Amino acid sequence: MRTKLSLLIAAAAAAVAVAASAGVFGVPGVTSSSILIGGTAPLSGEASSAAAVAKGADGYFKYVNAHGGVNGRKIVYKYLDDAYDPAKTVEDTRQLVQQDGVFAIFNTLGTNNNLAIRDFLNQQKVPQLFVASGFTAWGADYRRYPYTIGYIPSYLSEGQVYGRYIAKVKPKARIAVLYQDDDYGKDLLNGLKKGLGSRQGLIVKAAGYDPTSPNVDSQVADLRQTKADTFMIFCFGKFAIQAYINVAKLGWHPQIYVNAVAASTNLLGLATVTAGAKTTTGSISIAYFKDPADPSWAKDPGIQLFQKILKRYVPGGNPKDGYYAAGMASAFTLVDTLQKAGKNLSRDGVVKATANLNEANNPFLLPGMVVKTGPADHFPIEQMQLERWSGARWLRFGGLVTAKS
Amino acid sequence: MSGRLAWSLRLAAVGVAAAVAAALPFLTSDFLSFQLARMGIFLIAIMGLNILTGYTGQISIGHGAFMSIGGYTTAVLASQHGVADYWTVPLAGLLTGLVGLAFGVPALRLAGLYLALATFGVAVATPSIEKRWEGLTKGSTGISLLSFHSNHWLYGLTWALAAGLFVLAWLIVRSRLGRTFKALRDSEVAASAMGVNPAFYKTLAFGISAFYAGIAGALYTIQNAYVSPDTFPITLSLYLLIGAVIGGLGSMAGLLAGAAFVEFVPIHASGIVAAISPFDLNTKSAGVPSVLLGLVVVVLVLALPDGAAGLLRRVGSPLTRRLYSRPP
Amino acid sequence: MLAFTFSQLAQQVVSGLASGGIYGSLALAIVLIYRSTRVVNFAQGEMATFTTFIAWSLMHHMSYWPAFVLTLLIAFGGGVALERVVIRPVERAPVLSVVILSIGLLILVNGLSSWIWGSDVKSFPSAFSTRPIRVGGVAFSIQDLGVIGVSLGAVALLALFFRFTKVGLAMRAVALNPGESELVGVRVGWMLALGWGLAAALGALSGMMVAPSVFLEPNMMLSVLLYAFAAAVLGGLDSPLGAVVGGLTLGVVLNLAGTYVGFVGSELRLAVGLAVILAVLLVRPAGLFGRTVARKV
Repeated sequence: MRTKLSLLIAAAAAAVAVAASAGVFGVPGVTSSSILIGGTAPLSGEASSAAAVAKGADGYFKYVNAHGGVNGRKIVYKYLDDAYDPAKTVEDTRQLVQQDGVFAIFNTLGTNNNLAIRDFLNQQKVPQLFVASGFTAWGADYRRYPYTIGYIPSYLSEGQVYGRYIAKVKPKARIAVLYQDDDYGKDLLNGLKKGLGSRQGLIVKAAGYDPTSPNVDSQVADLRQTKADTFMIFCFGKFAIQAYINVAKLGWHPQIYVNAVAASTNLLGLATVTAGAKTTTGSISIAYFKDPADPSWAKDPGIQLFQKILKRYVPGGNPKDGYYAAGMASAFTLVDTLQKAGKNLSRDGVVKATANLNEANNPFLLPGMVVKTGPADHFPIEQMQLERWSGARWLRFGGLVTAKS
Repeated sequence: MSGRLAWSLRLAAVGVAAAVAAALPFLTSDFLSFQLARMGIFLIAIMGLNILTGYTGQISIGHGAFMSIGGYTTAVLASQHGVADYWTVPLAGLLTGLVGLAFGVPALRLAGLYLALATFGVAVATPSIEKRWEGLTKGSTGISLLSFHSNHWLYGLTWALAAGLFVLAWLIVRSRLGRTFKALRDSEVAASAMGVNPAFYKTLAFGISAFYAGIAGALYTIQNAYVSPDTFPITLSLYLLIGAVIGGLGSMAGLLAGAAFVEFVPIHASGIVAAISPFDLNTKSAGVPSVLLGLVVVVLVLALPDGAAGLLRRVGSPLTRRLYSRPP
Repeated sequence: MLAFTFSQLAQQVVSGLASGGIYGSLALAIVLIYRSTRVVNFAQGEMATFTTFIAWSLMHHMSYWPAFVLTLLIAFGGGVALERVVIRPVERAPVLSVVILSIGLLILVNGLSSWIWGSDVKSFPSAFSTRPIRVGGVAFSIQDLGVIGVSLGAVALLALFFRFTKVGLAMRAVALNPGESELVGVRVGWMLALGWGLAAALGALSGMMVAPSVFLEPNMMLSVLLYAFAAAVLGGLDSPLGAVVGGLTLGVVLNLAGTYVGFVGSELRLAVGLAVILAVLLVRPAGLFGRTVARKV
């Protein structure tokens, strides 16, 4: 008797679980009170500092939930560890889609990691939203992959902004480029060429490095020999700092450009301490998110909100780490999108909403920026602003600029 | 027990195991069969490693790199030449086997530690070579396969192959060849005094082992439907070796435990640490899975020098012993 | 490719020497363990990173030199303890067990570093000035010279230690023939532990020397490890001087190959490292400075 009863309970529980994952409306991951969103991030392994993007997004969802959620539903964001290994991303994503029954995949980090799941998600018609990578294909391939959309400006358009700016202010520049030898670095390099247009010949040398190498000393020494007066650092994290140190060591005084991913206030601060303010001051980069480490934002409502959320919902979060802010920015846009998609959520409805964004009030983006997409424009953020390193912080200059990929 | 009875018992056990294996995906969640398929892939790679390391005593820390050769064979054939992905599996195995034979020739001169160092180098350097060979491999972007299979299909394919390869490994180990391998492992000098050509057999062992790794790599690529230099990181090579050791090198039964370890322990690491740790630790931290994994390896090597198979043997169901252990 | 210039060649050689100093300093620690225990410790790099993190933490409470010395002592103690607790039980086990164990340690210690200190990049103060020096068209920093100088200094000290002290002699005896050393009264176990302690201290030294230029994070030494192995193999696995010279040679070879061999470029350096390991092992397994030992039956 007893066993029978417990069996019955187990069966009922299983039925409820199935209903929960299939959703009351037959839409996976959606119930009358919740929306289940999934994603992966490198919670362990070499790239784990970037996991803050997922943690920041999670904090923002918790904040939204505490204030009534989206159309009465709370967002549950389940992010799994892929250790930055695309094969793990595949496994995690299958789990999220097939076992947990998520409504959509959101904010998965890494170019290869997203490439690995793009075909699967599109074939399953599961939205792959606001990919945390600036690979150009997310926005460019929308006809073939309608369920996939990126978020941050593509590396190609970032490179383009630098190219156009150099062509304008220094049409006789001699440009040397240090780039990471993968899709990330090559996209930036190609963008630079595109931005220079007919002046591509200004690039006197481009040297790649493998991200698994210990340093970039040899490459920088080689670029130094070209007597270039303009030096592009298209690197990741510590390699950018090493590039600065080598520039100082070699007695080179070029105008330095450093790509946004490697230009956080933290990293440039480290570079300034070790390579000297003389070398770093005057470096140019671009920005699109507000940098929480920049003191000039201290009174800004967006950054104040960021600090409040971080303190309340992200235990252990570093209040100066821009990755958290980046996560919150994309979470803001997702909430916005879900709101637009309406009470009767469907996957196709959300995909449609992502192609129809016009969001001018994202508090984590620079003032004046609009997250805008259209039927033929699947690049949510295309605006950015040039900034110059003062020796202690970034100072933005010029207006917002736009580059189409 | 008469020989006949033992044989029928053994057959019955194999039958039951096969029935359980066939029914398993229908008893568990759909996604679990995906994970079990992946475990099967690791099992195949570990079986190959076991022949090399367990039976001839040659260390390889580079089996992830051999898997990647099989993986790229499948990806290139399937995506650029329109071959159905499952037909590429034997080819991937053979090609990787040939590469293994080729690597076996220099490896001959390297014993023990030196071979470990060389294969470690192979594991570290292969991704950058694959990245460089852009025309074929599409560089760091990688190759998508565009063919998706249900999890049950993946499970079926993987475990059918795993079973076949298990039998093959069992036959090799029991045959004259297997005895030669073991003789070489135990004393190369003694074996060559008895007329065994060490060079030939050690190279052959490398080839067979790479053949297994190639098949595993092909299946891994089919399962992921994607391959890039990053899908075969150095950690994969390390995990495979660890799995083989946990399984107890030189015996077949523990390999299942080793494969299960490689598939499931890293995923559940932070949960496991949170559950067993007496203190309130920040188990969401980035280092936790590595700490647990490393700790398990260290403790296992110290506590169970002959791996999980040794434990099984000691706990001792006679059936398992008869099924799997090497003939005396 | 650009026109060949002498200053380019000179600069590449000099910056190759600087990188080579990094490889050599870790290779030195690897060689020391091999010399005293006939084991290659795959966890050597991770142990170095871990102890460098300890130094980084200590430096928040004291100035550079006290923290430096304290770190060396902690590393030495840690190395001895590690040998006693973890390596001792497999002392007589096959090579494979020890290799696996050190791989287990590699994973474990790497995890511990990022668990305790997080994975953000940290700057680490240098014992030497990072001010550049320029001679002719060639630039280098005192930091680069310091790394090489400290490694060579360590080699000299080790040579004196092994040659003139009783303990050093005993360690050599144990490495050559543990059984007979025991018979003549050498405490074999403690000599092995001492070898691990010294290697760990050398690793810490290496970590503290290279951290200022490659930056401190949990994977700092992972990218150096293959090159350190290549350097150790090139110099001969049991020669401390060989490790440093091997490192310097490797650094220069890699830079020149990367700069002047178009096919290698900057992307295939790891493959060159691998090729060096294979070529040396096949052609001259004892390396440049190692002694050839007849295989025992």
